[in-house]
Amino acid sequence: MIHSMVLASRFKRFVATIIDLILTPLVGVIVMLVTGLLESAEAYTTMTTIAVRALSIAVIAYIVLHGWLLHTRGQTVGKAIMKIAIVDNITGEKAPLWKLLLIRMWFLPLIFLVALIPWSIIPIIDQAMIFTASRRSLHDWLCGTSVINQVR
Amino acid sequence: MIYRHRYFYNSLRAITSLITLVISVTANANVGCENTASEPGTQHRYSDAWGTTFNGERYQSSANTTINAENASNLKLQWSYGLSTQAPRSYPLVTEDTIFIGDGGYGLVALDKNTGCTRWANTDIKDIESAVVAGEIDGNTVLIFTGRRSGVYAVDAKSGKQIWFSDPKVHPVPFYSGSPMAYKDKVYVPISSFEIALSANPFYGCCTTTGGIMALDIKTGEKLWFTPTVENAGSIVTGRHFLFVEERGPSGAPVWSAPTLDTKRNLLYFGSGENYTKPATQTSDAIFAIDAETGKVVWVKQYTAGDAFNMACTISADHPNCPTDSGPDLDFGAPPVLTTLKNGMDIIVAGQKSGAVFGINPATGDTIWSTLFGRGGMLGGVHWGIAVDPELEQAYIPISDLPTGESDIAPGHGLYAISSADGSTQWSATLQENCKERSCWPGFSAAITSGPNIVVAGTIDGHLKIYRGTDGELLWSHNTVVDVESVNQIPAKGGTLDAHGPMLAGNQLIVSSGYDSFGQWGGNALLVFSVEEEQEQ
Repeated sequence: MIHSMVLASRFKRFVATIIDLILTPLVGVIVMLVTGLLESAEAYTTMTTIAVRALSIAVIAYIVLHGWLLHTRGQTVGKAIMKIAIVDNITGEKAPLWKLLLIRMWFLPLIFLVALIPWSIIPIIDQAMIFTASRRSLHDWLCGTSVINQVR
Repeated sequence: MIYRHRYFYNSLRAITSLITLVISVTANANVGCENTASEPGTQHRYSDAWGTTFNGERYQSSANTTINAENASNLKLQWSYGLSTQAPRSYPLVTEDTIFIGDGGYGLVALDKNTGCTRWANTDIKDIESAVVAGEIDGNTVLIFTGRRSGVYAVDAKSGKQIWFSDPKVHPVPFYSGSPMAYKDKVYVPISSFEIALSANPFYGCCTTTGGIMALDIKTGEKLWFTPTVENAGSIVTGRHFLFVEERGPSGAPVWSAPTLDTKRNLLYFGSGENYTKPATQTSDAIFAIDAETGKVVWVKQYTAGDAFNMACTISADHPNCPTDSGPDLDFGAPPVLTTLKNGMDIIVAGQKSGAVFGINPATGDTIWSTLFGRGGMLGGVHWGIAVDPELEQAYIPISDLPTGESDIAPGHGLYAISSADGSTQWSATLQENCKERSCWPGFSAAITSGPNIVVAGTIDGHLKIYRGTDGELLWSHNTVVDVESVNQIPAKGGTLDAHGPMLAGNQLIVSSGYDSFGQWGGNALLVFSVEEEQEQ
């Protein structure tokens, strides 16, 4: 990691996550209404169909809400408000969008499925890892990213 | 140091796993059951269907029970079994030496009739909530039952091994809540719908499904036909809320209970529930007669028109999925009963949640007589099932009248004996309130059963009672809300008596106690009583 980067404080990361956890489902409700993914009986045939459709809503909501900011600034809405950003852990540059979407993105939507899928306790453990010394969550390790204070 | 910690952790985990395994094995082990034969006898069955006989009378003649008005007071608890649910909803099939019953959450079990020891257990099927009924495939006895959300099962009675499973998905979210009936080459399966609960979700577009009766091939489980209670369910968009969510209808008219078979006319009779959404149809809260071979509707008689209701209405009448002017939710939750009067005339007796009871001409559907008990309601009136004694030409009507809101009408919870011929009341046994809570309401919600000059009924507050058929005198009463020692070592305690109710088989009276729905008392006790003199033989 580049030494000039200042890791975001745990408090800022925690508040940013809370903001995202509030805003993402609000957008999710709109996505659910517009797409009708959970409106029909077909959605409730098995626990799997419910989980897949709910996860789809969460992912779409995540991309709609955070996609542009992630692409241009490496930030979610919560991180933008708290003035912190996601960067490549080695180069300190903005993390590639494909990594943010293909690896990092799944952890937040999965939180909403804890009630449906027992193993989705993983994203909670993931979020809790910001309290470790490196302040890197599981998704940071998988993506090779860190969260730093925004550099102007 | 790290390795020591890891060693300690692994050792602890191994010990914990071993203890858990031992507990789980011993918890289901039957003490003193080592010599129990694993293969059940299937030569004699004490019932043909949920309603004891195909015509649904829930009457056990003296050929099939030795319990009667003279010895009922001698009934004593013979053994009990701890079920793995607090709301047991399976009704047993009893043979000469075995009780087959769904042990909710655990599986299907075959228990020695005299000891309660387990002959075999099929733990692959977890959600059995119907009666277990018997059919024949190539001369072998098969057990047929439903899993509430999963589907219909056929299991070999001798081994407990599954023969077929069927979930034809006549609509996306079927409830296999009612008990099936096996007759000759077909299995008749009542269909209701999980949509009644989904309606509570305001983002759900309620409702698009229908109730009905499905016929399956007994050999393969393949669907032969399905007769819906609502044609073109969900085909009309009746409104919209939250800008996008479409409200749809007609829907509902679920079939909650077992059908009744008229072998003389080759007709199948069943009752339907309310519509879930509007427009209401002429087939909700109705009695149907359909051709047992083809499923073609022969006649339908509706008794409450315009009844549209779903679970959203229990949250708020303003819930977006609750129909305007909803209710009154007066299903036929209990199957219609076919009986033959002493003059040779056949008549259907059907009880509704309104508290009304009807005598119906089985050939035409015309109402011959009607009578009303209590105030009825969502959980009131006749809930799970009546019984008919053909010898005394009497129908026994259990009335629940469980409070579900403010009402100016006095409840009529109790048991009523009426003439099957004209509906006139012969006697009544009304019960006093013990307290104001739902759990200790003394009404009769569970289905009842009858035998030689007796009627057996269980109350919501957990008392199992036997009345004399001729005059309604209370012969025996047993409080089931107690801890009992179980054969299988699972702590067992009784609770509310609800759902399928008691069964008479030989010298035994069998009942599951506990039902933790609707604010009632949970419990997990399968109780088997017997008359003393029979035990000594």
